[in-house]
Amino acid sequence: MITVTINGKLVRAKEGEMLLAVLRREKIDIPALCHHEAVEPYGACRLCMVEITKKEWDGWKNMVTSCLYPVADGLIIQTHTTDLIELRKTILDLYLARCPNTPEIQDLAAQYGVTQTSFEEVAEPNDCILCGLCTRICDRMGFGAISAINRGHGREIAPPLKNAPPDCVGCLACALNCPTNYIKYSDIGHTREIWGRKFELLRDVRTGQSTITREFAEYLSKHRNIPQDYFELNDESHRKETALSLGKIAIWSREESQ
Amino acid sequence: MIIATPKQLEQLAAEYKKTADKHKKMVIVCCGTGCLANGAQKIVDAFEECLSRRKVKDFTVEAVKKTGCHGFCEQGPLVVIEPQGTFYTKVKPKDIESIIEKSIENDEVIEKFLFTNPKDGRKIEKYPDVPFFSHQHRIALRNLGKIAPFDIKEYIAVDGYEALAKVLTTMTPDQVIDEITKSELRGRGGGGFSAGKKWRTCRNVPSDVHYVICNGDEGDPGAFMDRSIMEGDPHSVLEGMMICAFAVGAKQGYIYVRDEYPLAVIHLQKAIADCEKHGLLGDKILGTDFSFSIRIARGAGAFVCGESSALMRSVAGEVGEPRAKYIHSVVKGLYDQPTVLNNVETFVNVPVIINHGADWFREIGVPKNSGTKVFSLVGKVRNTGLIEVAMGTTMREIIYDIGGGIIDGRPFKGVQTGGPSGGCLPESKLDLPVDFDSLTEAGSMMGSGGMIVMDDKTCMVDVARYFLQFLVSESCGKCVPCREGLYQLHKLTIKICEGNGTEDDIEKMEKLSQQIVVGSLCGLGKSGPNPLLSTIKYYRDEYLAHIRDKKCPAGVCRNLITYRVIPELCTGCLACITACAYHAITGQKKEPHVINQELCEKCGACVAVCKHDAIEVS
Amino acid sequence: MIMVLQDIQREYRYLPCEALLQTAQALDVKLSKVFSVATFYNAFSLNPKGEKVVRICVGTACHIRGAALIKEQIEHHLGIKAGQTTEDMKFSIEVVACVGACAMAPVVIVNDKYHGGVSVSSATRLVKN
Repeated sequence: MITVTINGKLVRAKEGEMLLAVLRREKIDIPALCHHEAVEPYGACRLCMVEITKKEWDGWKNMVTSCLYPVADGLIIQTHTTDLIELRKTILDLYLARCPNTPEIQDLAAQYGVTQTSFEEVAEPNDCILCGLCTRICDRMGFGAISAINRGHGREIAPPLKNAPPDCVGCLACALNCPTNYIKYSDIGHTREIWGRKFELLRDVRTGQSTITREFAEYLSKHRNIPQDYFELNDESHRKETALSLGKIAIWSREESQ
Repeated sequence: MIIATPKQLEQLAAEYKKTADKHKKMVIVCCGTGCLANGAQKIVDAFEECLSRRKVKDFTVEAVKKTGCHGFCEQGPLVVIEPQGTFYTKVKPKDIESIIEKSIENDEVIEKFLFTNPKDGRKIEKYPDVPFFSHQHRIALRNLGKIAPFDIKEYIAVDGYEALAKVLTTMTPDQVIDEITKSELRGRGGGGFSAGKKWRTCRNVPSDVHYVICNGDEGDPGAFMDRSIMEGDPHSVLEGMMICAFAVGAKQGYIYVRDEYPLAVIHLQKAIADCEKHGLLGDKILGTDFSFSIRIARGAGAFVCGESSALMRSVAGEVGEPRAKYIHSVVKGLYDQPTVLNNVETFVNVPVIINHGADWFREIGVPKNSGTKVFSLVGKVRNTGLIEVAMGTTMREIIYDIGGGIIDGRPFKGVQTGGPSGGCLPESKLDLPVDFDSLTEAGSMMGSGGMIVMDDKTCMVDVARYFLQFLVSESCGKCVPCREGLYQLHKLTIKICEGNGTEDDIEKMEKLSQQIVVGSLCGLGKSGPNPLLSTIKYYRDEYLAHIRDKKCPAGVCRNLITYRVIPELCTGCLACITACAYHAITGQKKEPHVINQELCEKCGACVAVCKHDAIEVS
Repeated sequence: MIMVLQDIQREYRYLPCEALLQTAQALDVKLSKVFSVATFYNAFSLNPKGEKVVRICVGTACHIRGAALIKEQIEHHLGIKAGQTTEDMKFSIEVVACVGACAMAPVVIVNDKYHGGVSVSSATRLVKN
């Protein structure tokens, strides 16, 4: 365990853990739009930048993205200096130029006193903030169905060749984790549609509610040793089953002990 | 034929030197890219054709040597007659016959091919006397223009691989690093970081695998130093890498070559193949325990891949996105292994330092900036080309004594150094010594060595706009400050160039620039605002002219200028009417032409073709 | 992966979709990654190029020496803009960031042949045939 100073307060941390995790643990509110615990930190949004220094640096300071900075003993951190606030304001101002109508960005910008972009808005804005979480989560899930394409300002998130992605299984991990709900999908009848591809939705044999796509179920059976018939019930039905079983065991053990 | 021991290498060197000396006379034809584009191959062909027809005493076609770039591209195609050193410029294939007759069969000098010194109008006969060359101190460019790049024998004949032999047999890796550190060799790619320190850090990382990568991406537009070295003296690059590999414990090296340099790839591949044939690459080099191989990794057209972490991702076949470097690539680089990445020019200096010593190297240049630097001197300067001077040489000497001053004698306006990461320096800075620290202090940077000279017909606001456009198209797009910020800066400069700028815009750009510098992930973004900030600093009046007076003093920004035919000077030759892509000029033959302002797009084609200076731009 | 795609690009003068699929299979990488690489780098084109590819250098030295004007003239003569190909598939125009022939600015490369010191009139001649 090591000791660091955050905004003047001494804090214990594990050597080498990322600074953002320490800050979050200390309940310090730093925005980090491209961050998600399930995937490696990316350092793209730059909002989590903080100021660091050490006694032996003789007053020299550095600004680093806390999501990617491993803590070391004696690190002195400031999270809300005027310079940092100014930086976050500018970044959010730039975000608003790209996504002027996106509530999540508007809210976050408003927290920093930016209600409208002072720059030129893009021609056809959408809600994608290019955080890359969807692609990284998809990679983590093992599918790698979508990726960031093009370079620079024209960068977008898209399936290969902008067609229905062959590697997608319709698991919805991307859509459910998108910070701005940009990724749309639809579940209608026995069909799920996402990224322009249609999937067959399996339904719970008892309640008729949708469970999972056939493709995802097959993947899980193959790679995670789950029997195919597991997917005949959805999570709710499984929980009910388990609850009933546990209840039966409770009654039986009470009977036994009497 | 494997060179199994250093002794064998020495013997071969002596043998090859004798072969080289056996020619009484030699003809050197510059085959650098510039001269090739101007028909150098035809010159070589003409020599071959002529010599097959005429028998010349003591001179065969073997004495005609194709070499790499001499650097004096403005005057190409170049032919040098050795050993006299007679220097012929702007040679054409039809001139070969008379050159053979007069200068090779006899010892006559043909005056009309000699270089004329614009300062005093005198013709200069010998190559070392030409001011362009006499002011230079060629270390990195030592073999360029002297040896045939695709012949390993010629490299060995000029003591090639002798430094490698010395290192492998008489020095330890730590001693090599000590020597390089003592020499104070700083990275020539632009970073200016101590090469010795970098090697030391890499060596100290405990790992079985270390890599050495040579950065041949040379993304700065206007720079072609590395290209010329890779094409003209590929073995010197390999030797430098080998010495580094020995020092840090690497067994595998890569040369990352820009996609736009196919000839460099070919020359390097030949050099590598020859080294492998001679046992200079592979296992147990020169009979020692040192094993090293080099592969070429090609770029695919991305400026951002000149950045170390992006480059390494590109070598690994991925998208060239940089990463935050809190853990440096020298510790965790290619495939997460400790990697030394140095520029072509840095590596090329290594064998010389080993051979002549760190103290010798430190005597050249200025304190903390030892050695020389290769620059590509281009733009509105008379003698465009490649030069190498000692660090600390002044800008004035480079532009005027070597460069010959501004074309057409126009006034000097500025010089851009360091490419898109650097800045523009005005006339008041002409006496600045050119070295890493002085340039950075003045608001620019050394960069890879591109020097773009500008005259009064260059609009500095347009230059800022141009660089921002370049950076926007090359940004990888990962982080917000660079992707969005540079885009917005670009839009603002367009606004000013079009005459719609306001006074607030300058302050807005300065503030945004500051945040981009602080917030960007990598060097592209961090140094991106430099051209804009340096032009605002030194040429603020020009920005204000665009904003307040809606004028472009240099006559470049299209919305702010008008083209008009001066009827008194117009001869009615129809040239401009033909050249105009927008059909904006009308007029009959022999009658003064008229430009229709509604249709005129201010492209300047008419001015370019008018031989009578009859078109005025205001 | 980049070198494989470069070889394909050289052979076919662009990257056909089937080639991307084959590359993904052969190298055992996800198709999305291949597509990312194919769209990230300037060297790759997803659309077929013309017989003659006219590359106009727009590097700094060439820009200062009037590359913008040369580009405009060539675009006008071929009737297409940079990045496009003529209907008859004879010509494509591309802009390149810098080809390292800066002393010969402005530079235009037609297929693999370098032309230095290009002027308004010589630019027209380059694309006339």
